[in-house]
Amino acid sequence: MDRIECQWCQAQNEMGRTNCLTCGAPLDTKDLVTDSGWAEAPRLRDMTEFRFSNSTCQIEGEIVPVAELALAPGDSVFFEHHVLLWKEPNVPMSALNTGGGMKRMLGGMPHILSVAHGPGRVAFSRDHAGEVVVLPLHPSMELDVREHAFLAGTHSLTYSFVRIKGLANVLHGGGGMYMDRFVTHNEPGLLLLHGYGNVFQKTLQPGEKIMVEPGGFLYKDSSVTMNAVQQNVKTGLLSRGMNLAEMTGPGRVGIQSMYVHHGSE
Amino acid sequence: MSMPPATPPEGAYTCPYCRMASEGGSRTCPHCGAPVDVRLKVTESGWIEQPPIRDMARIRFSRSTCQISGSYVPVAEMGLHDDDWVYFSHHSLLHTDPQVRLGTLPMKGGWKRMRAGMPLIMMRAQGPGHIAFSADHPGETLAVPLHAGQAVDVVEHRFLTATGSVAYDWHTANVWFTTKDGDDEEWHYPLGKTMDRFTATGGPGLLLLHGPGNTFIRDLAPHQQILVQPGGLIWKDPTVGMFLHFEYPRGAYWFSSARWQAKTVWLLLQGPGRVAVQSVFERPETTGTVRRDSGSSTRHW
Repeated sequence: MDRIECQWCQAQNEMGRTNCLTCGAPLDTKDLVTDSGWAEAPRLRDMTEFRFSNSTCQIEGEIVPVAELALAPGDSVFFEHHVLLWKEPNVPMSALNTGGGMKRMLGGMPHILSVAHGPGRVAFSRDHAGEVVVLPLHPSMELDVREHAFLAGTHSLTYSFVRIKGLANVLHGGGGMYMDRFVTHNEPGLLLLHGYGNVFQKTLQPGEKIMVEPGGFLYKDSSVTMNAVQQNVKTGLLSRGMNLAEMTGPGRVGIQSMYVHHGSE
Repeated sequence: MSMPPATPPEGAYTCPYCRMASEGGSRTCPHCGAPVDVRLKVTESGWIEQPPIRDMARIRFSRSTCQISGSYVPVAEMGLHDDDWVYFSHHSLLHTDPQVRLGTLPMKGGWKRMRAGMPLIMMRAQGPGHIAFSADHPGETLAVPLHAGQAVDVVEHRFLTATGSVAYDWHTANVWFTTKDGDDEEWHYPLGKTMDRFTATGGPGLLLLHGPGNTFIRDLAPHQQILVQPGGLIWKDPTVGMFLHFEYPRGAYWFSSARWQAKTVWLLLQGPGRVAVQSVFERPETTGTVRRDSGSSTRHW
C-alpha cells in the first residue's frame, strides 16, 4: 500500500491525507527549504488535527495559535501553568515537582509543572505571536529547548532541566542559565513548542557548525553542542564585540526569527 | 526613483514595483522578488500596493543570491559569492556560516549617531557562504534594487542590509518642531533625527528594508503634494521634498486652550519622485503649542 512520508516528522501517512496524522504538517505542499538547508517549520493550517497516544491535538488560529488537546483516559500532558488558556471543569489536575528549587528560582523557571489528565479538553497558548512547533519524538531521543519556549509535553516524556555549561555561555549565550530537556524512553512522545515569528530547522552533520544569534536559538538535539563564541568585531563605542552561539552537529537545530537580543546593545 | 531605468529589450518584463527589466520567465522578479503573476493593485488615488515577497523567492545581485523565507517575521538569507559582501547592523544578524568573514564598517559622525540612537558601527560580511538577517518584527522585507548612481533616502531603523556596491551616508532629516513645556522648550522629531541615504556607486546594488504592515508606493509628479503620517514614510527619492504641515481642527471646545493646541502633524511630500509608505506607524505628539519648526504650513478648519 502506498504511503506518504511526512517531510517534517518522517511519519508514514495514508495516501490522500492532506495533513500528517502525527504532527499536522501539510502533506500537499512542497517543503520550504532555503539554499543553505534551513527547513521552514510547517505552517499548520487553522483547525489542523493530529493524534498522539489515544488523544488528539488541534491547532487553532494563525497569529497567536492555540493548541487544544482532547485527552483520552489514561493520557496526560504537563505544562507551565501560565500557558493554560482554558480547560473543562472536570479535567483532573496534578503537579509535577521539577526538583532543583533554588536553581530554578535563580533561572526564573517555575518550580512546579502542572499536569492535566484525561478524559477532557484543555487548551494552551504562549500569549505571543508566532507558531506552534510540533515535535513528535521517537523512543530514546533527547531534545534541549530554550527556557520559556515549551508549551506542553505528553506523559511519555521525561522532563528535566540542564544547566548551560560554561560561564561565557550563560552570560552571552542568550538562553539563560538552564535549558529544558525532554527525553523519551521506550515510548514515543509529543512535544509542543512556541516559536516567536517563523521557525526554521537545520540538520547538522557530525562536526558541521553553524553560528546562530543566541536569542534566536529555540531547540536542539542533545547531541548538538552549543558554545558562545565572541566575534572579533566591535559593535559600538565601548562594547567588546558580539557573541554568537556556535552549534556543532550531529543533530537538529531549531531557530526562531523573532528573538530577544542579548549582550550587545 | 531618481534615475530612469534603462530601456528594456523588446519582449522583456519590466517590474512595476522596482522598474527593473528582466526576461520575465520566472514567477518572481529577479531584482526585487515581487511576484510576476499577480494582478497589479493600484488604488484610485494612485498608490501601488507592494505585494509581499513569496516564501523562498530568490533575488539575484552581482554573483550572489538573496532568498526570503518565512511569511510572518521574514528572514533574508544571502548566499554570498567570494567577491561579494554586505553590510548591516549587528542586531539583525540571525545566523551565519562559520566561514563568512565578519568585520566592521565604521560610520562617520559617531556622537550624532549615538545621540540619534543609531548604531555607531555597521558590520560587514564577506563571502563565500550563507548569512541570514531578520528584522525581529512582523512585517515585510522590501527589496529595493538600485541602478548605478541611483539613490534613495530611508527613514531610520528601516534598514536591514545592503550590498557592498551601495554606499551608505546619512544626513539630518531636518523635520522638527518645538513646543513649550513650562519654561522648557520640548523638541519633536516626527521622522527621527536622521535619514539614511543609500547610493549605488560603480554598479547596481541591492538594498533590503523592513516595512511593518503593508507597503504602498506612489509616483509624485513635479510639484505634486501629498500629506502622509510622518511615521508612515519608509523611503523616498532624494528629489522628493519634505515639509511639516499642521492642521488645527475646529472643535466644540472653543473656549478651551487645548483647542488651539490639539493639532494633526502631517509630513508634506512634494514631487517629483517616488515615495513608499507603510500601514503601521506611530502618531506624533499632538498637544502643545508649536513655537518653532523646520519650515511648515498651517491650516485651520
